[in-house]
Amino acid sequence: MPPPIENPHHDGLSDATPGGYEDQRRPGEIVFTLVLTVFSAVMLWEAYGISGFSSLSGSGVVPMATAFAMLVSVLLVLARTVRLTRVANETVLRDITPPIVMAVVVLLVAYAILLQPLGFLPTSALFLIASIRLLCKRSWAWVVGVSLLTLFIIWFVFRIIFTVLMPAGIVPEAELIQFFRNLFHGA
Amino acid sequence: MEAVSAFFTVITHWDLLLLTAVGTFAGIYVGAIPGLSVTMAVSILISFTFSWDVDPALALMIGIYMGGVYGGSRTAILLNIPGAPSAIATALDGYPMAQRGEAGAAIGVTTVMSFIGGFIGIAVLALAAPWVSDFALTFQPRDYMLLALLGILLVGSLSSGSLVKGIFAGALGIAIGAVGRDPLTFDSRFTFDLPQLDSGISFIAVMIGMFGVSEALLQLHDIDKTAVRQSLSRIVPSLGAVKKHLPLSLQTSTIGVIIGALPGTGGDIAALMAYDHAKRVTKTPEVPFGKGAMEGLVAPESANNAAVGGAFIPMMTLGIPGDAVTAIMIGALYIHGLNPGPMLMVDQPDMFWFIVGALVVANVFMLIFGLTGVKIFTKIVELPRPVLIPGILLLSIVGAYAVNNALSDVYWMIGFGVFGYFMRHYGYPLGPVILGVILSRLLDDNWRRAIISEREDLGRFFWGIATSPLSATLAVAVILVFVSQTPLWTRAKQRLLGASA
Repeated sequence: MPPPIENPHHDGLSDATPGGYEDQRRPGEIVFTLVLTVFSAVMLWEAYGISGFSSLSGSGVVPMATAFAMLVSVLLVLARTVRLTRVANETVLRDITPPIVMAVVVLLVAYAILLQPLGFLPTSALFLIASIRLLCKRSWAWVVGVSLLTLFIIWFVFRIIFTVLMPAGIVPEAELIQFFRNLFHGA
Repeated sequence: MEAVSAFFTVITHWDLLLLTAVGTFAGIYVGAIPGLSVTMAVSILISFTFSWDVDPALALMIGIYMGGVYGGSRTAILLNIPGAPSAIATALDGYPMAQRGEAGAAIGVTTVMSFIGGFIGIAVLALAAPWVSDFALTFQPRDYMLLALLGILLVGSLSSGSLVKGIFAGALGIAIGAVGRDPLTFDSRFTFDLPQLDSGISFIAVMIGMFGVSEALLQLHDIDKTAVRQSLSRIVPSLGAVKKHLPLSLQTSTIGVIIGALPGTGGDIAALMAYDHAKRVTKTPEVPFGKGAMEGLVAPESANNAAVGGAFIPMMTLGIPGDAVTAIMIGALYIHGLNPGPMLMVDQPDMFWFIVGALVVANVFMLIFGLTGVKIFTKIVELPRPVLIPGILLLSIVGAYAVNNALSDVYWMIGFGVFGYFMRHYGYPLGPVILGVILSRLLDDNWRRAIISEREDLGRFFWGIATSPLSATLAVAVILVFVSQTPLWTRAKQRLLGASA
């Protein structure tokens, strides 16, 4: 077994060195484990409903075995977690879900909601401006400039080179590209 | 003859050569920039290359894979931040060396050792895979099932984390892979009566969420961290230094190939095990380990690149991924209508030799790029994180959306990103989830085939396992994984080691 590597935040850097503590529990760990327990139980019930115990080759056998393995393993984790002492100097708000992380997740959800109606370019511009401004306290001009430059690079690589289609929304993107193509090809 | 021409495909087609070069170059930076990992890059790339032919798509991904496993070492040495999981052990001795003003020497030796390790991994792949695939043709469905189980269990048991959490992660992955209509009976499974779930959950959304979004969210914790850059000296190492460490490098490359070839476990675990091995066999290092021992660089860096070739062995011969990146590549091959496994080696041996050729080319490019261009390197790596992280998140969204042009995939990606973020915090490994998703179908199909051929009789099924040498060996390996975690085993091991000492 490889030696444990210390990392300042005790979060999982890789599969070789998963996060958490060996013999203490982190704030919120019990709640997370409880959620997983309930989820596993629901999954087991759902799996039972697929084909029950009717035959060993039924479509529900592997799902049932899987959900059973989930439930048993998470119950073992739960039994161990509740017995551990809590890490003394950690709080949920500082070490697990700091406001900055929650804010970025909210921005991501907002992106998904706005993508269809607004289209790729405006939504991405808003997302980049909002998140870059949130993460560093530079002037608005700098933030907007850097955001638009980043967006242009991403758009150019993926729309032009990889020809990925994203929702156009309110920007007449296809017409713009055609306009520039005509310009360069002298049509 | 055909194998030879397939092997040289990458060299004889300038476009493929260029893509491999671009991939390797990009991979070095992807690996080096903290917050960008190979797994993330390859999973995002799948969605952009699925309209391409399979050869160019693979050439690009292989370049990124090879370069990325190596690239992490640069930042580990220069900034004390491992750029990629496989470079965690490299920072332990690399950074102290850089602090002593030997960053150039450290990077030089690391590069050459990564090349040697990479080459050994590829050689073993080229020699062993055809043999393994012949052998694999004799595999029974139950053997595939046991191998898949073993792969999912191994990550949890070989890492420093908890096996039970690894099992949960693997089972969760299998369950995610089972969501939707069953292809044989058309029963809906885990759909909770929602019609949206009938076609299942896109594995690309799961991967980008788990490896892209959750990683980017984690990096937000370190948003203000500024690294102290170390100055650089001469990079190209002397022949003497390489020769001196060659024996250790050969040993740890072997460890790397084996760990890589074991289903599920990849470069990160190989590197840590190799470091551990170097510590045990190097009785008198010139500088103590952890203070800048050259051996502490040689071992993990040759092992993690050797693991690349190793990871392709089970992927190409059995369709069982050697690590998370090859799991994603299996997904990519599925998208291109190819089905990795022993039949692919029989039907399309060209594909195999093409991959071997691309790996060799990527390895050579890695050496060339590794020994040059370090000056601009430090500038690019120090991209401000407040710009980098939103950029990664935007790329993740585009990647998740692009495969099916479905907004629901973006929501799944965000959901799995947040979930993966919590899993990382509470010590659950993510690799088994991806492995489970990819292996879910294989496990389920082979279970049904196995039990139907035994006329639905569990007794006959177990008797079949017990009487076949291969199945019995695999079953014992699965049981050993569990036994090795019990206190009884630890006590027995201590007693045995104590008696021999």
